[in-house]
Amino acid sequence: MKTAYFPGCSLKTIDRAYDVSTRVIAKDLGMTLVDVEDYSCCGAGELKGEGLKSHFLPARNLAHLLAQGENEVMVSCNVCYHELSRTAYTFDVGGKVRDDIANMLQEADEPSLTEKPSVRNTLEYLVNVVGLDTIAKHVKVPLSGLRVAPYYGCLYHRPGKMLSSIQIAGEDTEHPHFMHDLLKTLGATVVSHPAETTCCGGKNLLSDDRTSGRLTGRILSQAKSSGADVLSLMCPKCAGGLDALQLRAINAVGNSAELPVMYYTQLIGIAFGHRPEELYVGDMESNALGTIQQFLSQLEYSLPPR
Amino acid sequence: MAKGSGIIERSLLTDDQIMEFDNLVMDGIDISGRWNTMLKSRVHSRPELDSWDEIRESFIGASIDNCIQCGMCTAGCTVAHEIPEFNPRQFIYWVRTGRQDELIKNADVIWRCVGCYICTNHCPKEVNTAEVIESIGQWLHRAVPEKMDDAFKANHETYRHQLFTYGRLSLPRLQAEFLNRTGRRQELFTAEMRKTAVKMLKDGRVMRTLFIGKPRHWSRSAMVLSHQEA
Repeated sequence: MKTAYFPGCSLKTIDRAYDVSTRVIAKDLGMTLVDVEDYSCCGAGELKGEGLKSHFLPARNLAHLLAQGENEVMVSCNVCYHELSRTAYTFDVGGKVRDDIANMLQEADEPSLTEKPSVRNTLEYLVNVVGLDTIAKHVKVPLSGLRVAPYYGCLYHRPGKMLSSIQIAGEDTEHPHFMHDLLKTLGATVVSHPAETTCCGGKNLLSDDRTSGRLTGRILSQAKSSGADVLSLMCPKCAGGLDALQLRAINAVGNSAELPVMYYTQLIGIAFGHRPEELYVGDMESNALGTIQQFLSQLEYSLPPR
Repeated sequence: MAKGSGIIERSLLTDDQIMEFDNLVMDGIDISGRWNTMLKSRVHSRPELDSWDEIRESFIGASIDNCIQCGMCTAGCTVAHEIPEFNPRQFIYWVRTGRQDELIKNADVIWRCVGCYICTNHCPKEVNTAEVIESIGQWLHRAVPEKMDDAFKANHETYRHQLFTYGRLSLPRLQAEFLNRTGRRQELFTAEMRKTAVKMLKDGRVMRTLFIGKPRHWSRSAMVLSHQEA
């Protein structure tokens, strides 16, 4: 199965853990990932104030996708997913905007956007296209006993009318559950908590320390007090606040915010029998590596002898 | 006694909306005592509507006119739980009633929207509230730049500079430029930062970051991005 894949800037650089783990599990599941050539940033949600121009960068990426002969793209980063979906939706609604986007692309000497490509999120694609039963067949090390708290962030399921996860895959826009379903398939104990879809303050990660520290602190402490061993993420921007700047959250709400954090694709990789080093679990700033190593050592101890 | 302490819902009023006198004589009648607390008239006879026009004609603020002031946006708002003054329903009300003075008074609050889109998702009238609030923030940034927080301006400039120049975001470069612009450069050299930097240097992520590159023919795209009017 050939699938076009858009990693985006942060997955190409410091969040390589998410990128590599996505590629590892895609290989196991028999998917061939084709990168979008000559990608640019999606705008990262920071160009909205520029009005029409905020559609230029996503449209450029979608046009490159079409030029490669693909019309469906799988996106891992939630911010890229939101930006590309927003442009695809606006383009589909049509009217003057459609011509304006075409003109901008022509002016910049880029390929043209002729139809609306389908923008899919990796999580939603895994559950809906690959299928949970296929994933269940590849599980070699069930994560039984590992208590995982799913965390969706914002842009995977909001605003509902623009996104494929809601429109095509039938995810719920208020209470998404695909990550719950996926983690259950891996054999993990899924810990539901009140902050599954609350925002981490990612847009003002740099500029508004106080708000984003309190928001990340709330998410981490609620997941921890619900009894989670590890928080499962799906967005590199959330990882910025919840993982890399976890110290700020701890300063804001206290030690109850100290919790290992990792990407859900890494958990799938562990369940598929890969070593933590292959999936770059050690890249996470929080103690995810320790938690996973402890889990695996307990598992080897309790496995029946061959 | 605190000003206006006898008023129910005192928290909804600011000090300068309340008048209190020690001795008040009106038409020859002494009405000092508990009757001397008065509210200033809330009639606003000179609405300043150019901001409304600017926002409803902008690309992202066009849906503002659908608003029926139901308050679903504010009920679910992430930031409203953290900052009580952050009230999207009221911001929209102020724009449409020409209360630029109130908007300007809250210039340091409005930009703190985190863009989580709960408001847009809950809106029964298809107002894209998150982007309308962004549009109000942009108007404030144009109208009263001196009232905006330095961190907001630095964030705005940093993202634009990085995106327009390189076409791709490198997060360490972004953070360094942001801290430099806000004059917090010393935070780059704290113990935790040094630890992270050494770790990233060892595991090869720094090299990935340095060689992220630019998209092909980026200069033409950069021209389109930086010249075309919004």
